[in-house]
Amino acid sequence: MPREIYLVKVGMTMTEGMVSEWFIADGQPVSKGDMLYALETEKVNLDVDAEMDGIVKHVVEAGVTLAPGDVVGYIFAADEVIPDDFEGVASTNDTLSTPLPEAMPAPEAPKTSPQPVAASTGAAEQNVASRTEEGRLKASPAARRLAGELGVGIEGVVGTGPDGRIVEADVYAAAKAGSTQPQMTLPPVSAEAVANVSPLARRIAEAKGIDLAQIQGSGPNGKILQADLDQVPTAPTAVKSVAAGPKAGSTVPVRGMRKTIAQRMHQSLQETAQLSMDMAAVMDDAVRLRGQLIKEWEGEAKPTYTDLVIKATAKALVRHPMMNSRFDGAEIALLDEVHMGLAVAVPDGLLVPVIRNAHLLSLKEISIESARLASAARAGTLGLDDFAGGTFTVSALGMYGVNSFTPIINQPQSGIIGINQLYDGVAWESENPVKTTQMNLSLTWDHRVLDGAPAAEFLASVVEFLSEPYRLLL
Amino acid sequence: MKEFDAVVIGGGPGGYAAAIRASQLGLSVALIEREALGGTCLNWGCIPTKSLLHSASLLADIRAADAFGISVEGLSFDLAKMVSQSRSAAAQLSQGVKGLMRKNKVTVFEGHARIVSPGLIAVGDDQISADSIVVATGAVQKGLGSIQIDGKHIWGAREAMTPKRLPKRLLIVGAGAIGVEFACFYRALGSEVTLLEVAEHVLPTEDHEVSALVAEALVSQGMTLRLGQGVQALESQKRGVTAEVGGEQLKFDAAILSVGVEAAIADLGLEELGVEMQSGFITVNDAQMTNVPGIYAIGDVAGAPCLAHKATHEAMIVAESISGGEPHPLQRERIPGCTYGTPQVASIGLREQDAEPEQVKIGRFPLYANGKSVVSGHTEGFVKTIFDRESGALLGAHLVGEGVTELIQGFAVAIGLETTEAELMHTVFPHPTMSEAMQESVLLAFDRPLHL
Repeated sequence: MPREIYLVKVGMTMTEGMVSEWFIADGQPVSKGDMLYALETEKVNLDVDAEMDGIVKHVVEAGVTLAPGDVVGYIFAADEVIPDDFEGVASTNDTLSTPLPEAMPAPEAPKTSPQPVAASTGAAEQNVASRTEEGRLKASPAARRLAGELGVGIEGVVGTGPDGRIVEADVYAAAKAGSTQPQMTLPPVSAEAVANVSPLARRIAEAKGIDLAQIQGSGPNGKILQADLDQVPTAPTAVKSVAAGPKAGSTVPVRGMRKTIAQRMHQSLQETAQLSMDMAAVMDDAVRLRGQLIKEWEGEAKPTYTDLVIKATAKALVRHPMMNSRFDGAEIALLDEVHMGLAVAVPDGLLVPVIRNAHLLSLKEISIESARLASAARAGTLGLDDFAGGTFTVSALGMYGVNSFTPIINQPQSGIIGINQLYDGVAWESENPVKTTQMNLSLTWDHRVLDGAPAAEFLASVVEFLSEPYRLLL
Repeated sequence: MKEFDAVVIGGGPGGYAAAIRASQLGLSVALIEREALGGTCLNWGCIPTKSLLHSASLLADIRAADAFGISVEGLSFDLAKMVSQSRSAAAQLSQGVKGLMRKNKVTVFEGHARIVSPGLIAVGDDQISADSIVVATGAVQKGLGSIQIDGKHIWGAREAMTPKRLPKRLLIVGAGAIGVEFACFYRALGSEVTLLEVAEHVLPTEDHEVSALVAEALVSQGMTLRLGQGVQALESQKRGVTAEVGGEQLKFDAAILSVGVEAAIADLGLEELGVEMQSGFITVNDAQMTNVPGIYAIGDVAGAPCLAHKATHEAMIVAESISGGEPHPLQRERIPGCTYGTPQVASIGLREQDAEPEQVKIGRFPLYANGKSVVSGHTEGFVKTIFDRESGALLGAHLVGEGVTELIQGFAVAIGLETTEAELMHTVFPHPTMSEAMQESVLLAFDRPLHL
């Protein structure tokens, strides 16, 4: 019997996808571990390896949109006869009960347990099986690319493919093993070091003190170019357009990421009872603290105001668990972990990667992780794990001079905080006006889950942590 | 009625490339060509003239062979064979394009296309419908007021690249790339060439220093240059032409008009559709769209610079654009240009005469200090690079000398990737190659040359 080639399911939210390219032509032989086809979904592109040796038979052409789990082809054993009129094998299973293959399967029983993804040279030396006699690392191109995307050092991965060759599943396994130890997955590099930036843009940004993490790149794969540096508003009123968008009079097809955003945002507004409120935080101490931390952590991390709000929000969510919850109609599930979604604008839309266990991470760790996620989002190299399981979201529009907005809840979460710009506010010391730096926080929450008073208490806690920011370092 | 997702009008380097790319992106595509696939570039421009210039350059090398220890006797050449060689190169490549159309499942219609309405095209008796129409009809040579190409003694590029006999005295009106290339070809074969240019420089769009070196070289080859002068009158006579230049009456055996091109839009139906034009060329946006929905334009017909590689790049953009992608717009200041005279010229970006001297750093490395140029005997020329003084951005590169047309792409990549002088200095350039002169030019701009 030929073995089915499935359209693999990547991530919980995948509803459709396609074979964007067959790497092995119809009727051609394939070896286990070879790249078989390129999978394209709304969020993720990845290469799928063959699971066995044999002859590939396509039943679906590249470019046809399908549901995950659909059969796209078969692999015949070398000695099997392929019927001329072959169009597929009648399924013996009830299709509904057929388990969907996961894109992140447990690897086929690696002979040794995977090494943690540390950049330790020791791991590389132990992994002699995955090297050729000349010492070259044996890894499939797809595995190498995935390792780059997930930030996994490929030298530390144990290969389970033929002759110990490293295949995609091994990289996933290594990434998972690494993610049980959060400190291991945080790359010890600053945002500037990982961002996709042209040398010229980097040099100008350094000279002018422009924070590249705030810039959206317009070049290939979101690369930041010289022209993109103009995005930085010199004053809140002088905001320029984010990127050279489509021209007036043209039409833009709704598909891919745009389609997903359209569906999810509309659905959120239809299905929940969401409403918004603003509260101002006095940020003078936070501004000072951030300045000190930037100096102190130079070369390691560069905290942004968004990072401060993430930390404050994570602490407030622990104090107000109703806000860190999931409403399913019959029950409200209060979640015991805070996974913070971070809305990142990318050239053709919006991505919301997730900082996992934000309530357990220090401000510095949050800062490093958010920089990594933001630059990976812009570079289009976010891994599957980077999207999963958010429990609350923050969305920042402050860099565009926004003072208040009504963010939309990222379902099934119960709330989202919008981060606005810093502005010069006034505080009164008896009869005297005193200039202070302030920032509004815009909270949207689901009234089905909690009412105005507890929501305001939650937001007041976030404001309290930001106003007394030393508490963010505890 | 035949139906397609996209129809491309014109099979030149813009049109056929757009058809291939659109087909790769999953569209059903037709291409309409009234003459030969490959367009002007391949059949009547870049390709056959490069073949003729290669003949001329071989001839010059053989004449200079004595210096390299090779003696040649009884050297002669056959003009007809040179021409037929150039025609067969063009024919071979045109055949290749035909094969590419088949391979990419592009349906080719032969004939003149007329857009009846958006989405509908007539080709002879055929009616073709398409969601998207790409106009890639190119350009045709311009006359000069009352002076027109007559094919007799007043030649355009087509006549000039298929001469029956060598004109003894040749007038060339216009010293742009085409004029200079023909001047070099005919001079190498022995014609007495007079080159007229109304601007003050030969190759007037190039850096002035490059133009000056080319002018000097042309004069030293024995050409007569008349800069800042136009032709007042030009008439075909029974034998040859008479020309009035600066009040003087001059006689030539033939004249070549090379005073620029205009968009090839005759009888396409664009005017009736209200397609917007500017100075005779179709106006397009960054996605190559015209003001009429569903109608796109690329290449020469969509405006200067009229270069094949600009057309091919716009072809990629238009294919992405009609299939719903968001292409990166073409950056015009980053299009390189090449002229295949003796010496060759290749350039990209900012010219020195357009730069503010205090805002740039300029390196100018002469080829006589480059080892590879010395051994090949082609030491005339230089590599000039212009950097932004503050940021170190490479703003422009201007090369003149034998072989430089194969070098310019290195700088085009550098500018495209936004490298600064630092990356160019850190790059290892192989020895012995002419490319070392590129790096030396960079070093020189920052006052640290090794070989000067």
